[in-house]
Amino acid sequence: MTSQTPETFYKSIFENMTDGLAYCQMIFDAQKNPVDWIYIKVNKNFEKLTGLKNAKGKKVSKLIPGISASNPELFKIYGQVSLTGKPERFETYVAPLSRWFLVSVFSPQKNFFVALFQNITDRKQIEKNLEDARIAAVNVLDDLFVEKSKVETAKAKEEAILMSIGDGLITTDEKGNTIFINKAAEKLLGIKNEEISGKSFFESTTIENEEGVAVPLEKRPIHMALATGTTTTTTTTTTTTGPTYYYVRKDKTKFPAAITVTPVILSGKVIGAIGVFHDITKEREIDHAKSEFVSLASHQLRTPLTAIGWYVEMLQSGDAGVLNDKQNKYLSEIYTGNKRMVELVNALLNVSRIELGTFVVEPEPTDVVLLARSVVDEQKSQIEAKKLKLSEKYAKDLPLFNADPKLLRMVFQNLLSNAVKYTPKGGAIEFALWMVKGGESVDVQKADEDSIAVKVTDAGYGIPKKQQNQIFTKFFRADNVRKKDTEGTGLGLYIVKAIIDHSGSKIWFESVENKGAIFYVTLPLSGMKKKEGAKALI
Amino acid sequence: MENKKTILIIEDERSLREALRDKLTREGFSTLEAKNGEEGLDVALREHPELILLDIVMPVMDGMTMLKQLRENAWGKNVKIIILTNLSDIEKIADSVKNEVYDYLVKTDWKLEDVVTKVRERLGE
Repeated sequence: MTSQTPETFYKSIFENMTDGLAYCQMIFDAQKNPVDWIYIKVNKNFEKLTGLKNAKGKKVSKLIPGISASNPELFKIYGQVSLTGKPERFETYVAPLSRWFLVSVFSPQKNFFVALFQNITDRKQIEKNLEDARIAAVNVLDDLFVEKSKVETAKAKEEAILMSIGDGLITTDEKGNTIFINKAAEKLLGIKNEEISGKSFFESTTIENEEGVAVPLEKRPIHMALATGTTTTTTTTTTTTGPTYYYVRKDKTKFPAAITVTPVILSGKVIGAIGVFHDITKEREIDHAKSEFVSLASHQLRTPLTAIGWYVEMLQSGDAGVLNDKQNKYLSEIYTGNKRMVELVNALLNVSRIELGTFVVEPEPTDVVLLARSVVDEQKSQIEAKKLKLSEKYAKDLPLFNADPKLLRMVFQNLLSNAVKYTPKGGAIEFALWMVKGGESVDVQKADEDSIAVKVTDAGYGIPKKQQNQIFTKFFRADNVRKKDTEGTGLGLYIVKAIIDHSGSKIWFESVENKGAIFYVTLPLSGMKKKEGAKALI
Repeated sequence: MENKKTILIIEDERSLREALRDKLTREGFSTLEAKNGEEGLDVALREHPELILLDIVMPVMDGMTMLKQLRENAWGKNVKIIILTNLSDIEKIADSVKNEVYDYLVKTDWKLEDVVTKVRERLGE
């Protein structure tokens, strides 16, 4: 470098500088307006940055056609700098070149200027991207504001809905602290949202059971839902089992409530609970009236039937003198008719109890064989009258199992009496009991667990194929038996099915019309579940 | 006559009461009748029958109330009782007499003949 002359030194700078450089002469018109410029000298980077080749000696109007239209400010600035000698620095976009430039311009002598420039298109692009991003962000923000107001409207709407929902509504956090109760809850509980929110719902309210004893914390529906993470429902009416709870108002009055509490679960964690409840005083009154009716009907309908039965019995046994054959025959018709009425009334009452859900299941260790034998004994007279061949096939050493003997007896009674009723004179019927292990087959089904299998086979009329799916329906009687026998109530198998369903057992059958039917029942050894209810089946 | 055992029939339904009376009389018992719990309690405490047939659902005083009051009496504490029911009442009975063993029979399902058998059984005949 030191050996270089100043000329070569400057030339080297000129050519190696990263900026583009153009030394130009400004051309003015008669009115001294800058109209063009001539490139006197440009460096290498000028070409590189502008893409303009062989600029030296050319007018800009030739070199970049359209520049006077696209960048009139260049003429103005360059003209001014050329005239005043005051340097300028600016950024500009040159459309014909599709580039952004940062330009520094100064005038070495009047009417001449030197423009130093950098291509800042990339920077500008970044800036533009940034700007775009900013605009996008602003747009998003705008949208957010719109959404927020929408959400707020929706929230207000939801709050209004929750507020005015007809059922009482309670929301709590995971500890059971009240977040919010709605208007209906306020009214039902006799407490204001402001008084209770933020406070423990359990401490702020009292629930009592039927006996008027306060329900302990661990039995409170909200507590149970929070603790177990599952929906907890109290009784809705007297027809459903489960506890009946009463909310106690501030003024110590109370009302029975149907309460359903659902835990609020977020990412697998219980974060709170929502309780919905309503006053079920009315429902309970209706249920009570229904139960009353059943009880009344059972008493009122049976009393006259008992009287008929007893007086007929006294006449038949000659208590009022000897009767002739005709009189005896007529009395036995009355007796049979009366017995049918008793059975029908019993069946109807059972049905209404099943439908009310009020019948009890009281399991106790039961010997099924003993039970089967006594059922057979009861029907011995009918079996003998029809000269039916009954084979009893009871497996030895069947274990005792927990069943409600009254209910199981009804199942056996109905199945056997159907077999007896629908098998023609002299036909064969079978009553079988045996053990099956879990997974073992019983006919077409598999036992879910160790069970006692029951099979009642008859050689009767059978059930027509197309009516087989209706056989357990209330009041259903198959067409073929309806023609032959008008006595059935159509309730027997319906009751049997209800008992089976309530006791975890299974029942099914196979039948070919005019060949007979086989009914199967599996009774799981785990036994029937105890169920408290208002009434026993008859 | 002197060996006849006395049975008190407490039953509000006249037809049933009379059927029981006629049958039991015919079977050689001496009978007393009452048509509700209050009357029955009265007759029982006065006449000290050997056995009481007691209906449950009755006007004025029901069978269960009558039974409770009877059991408070020194004589009434041990008198033999057969409860007549319509079965729908069974739970009421179970509730009221948790600690006592009773015979009960369901009127609709029992023949008079069976009632007589049960009565003889209870009287130890």
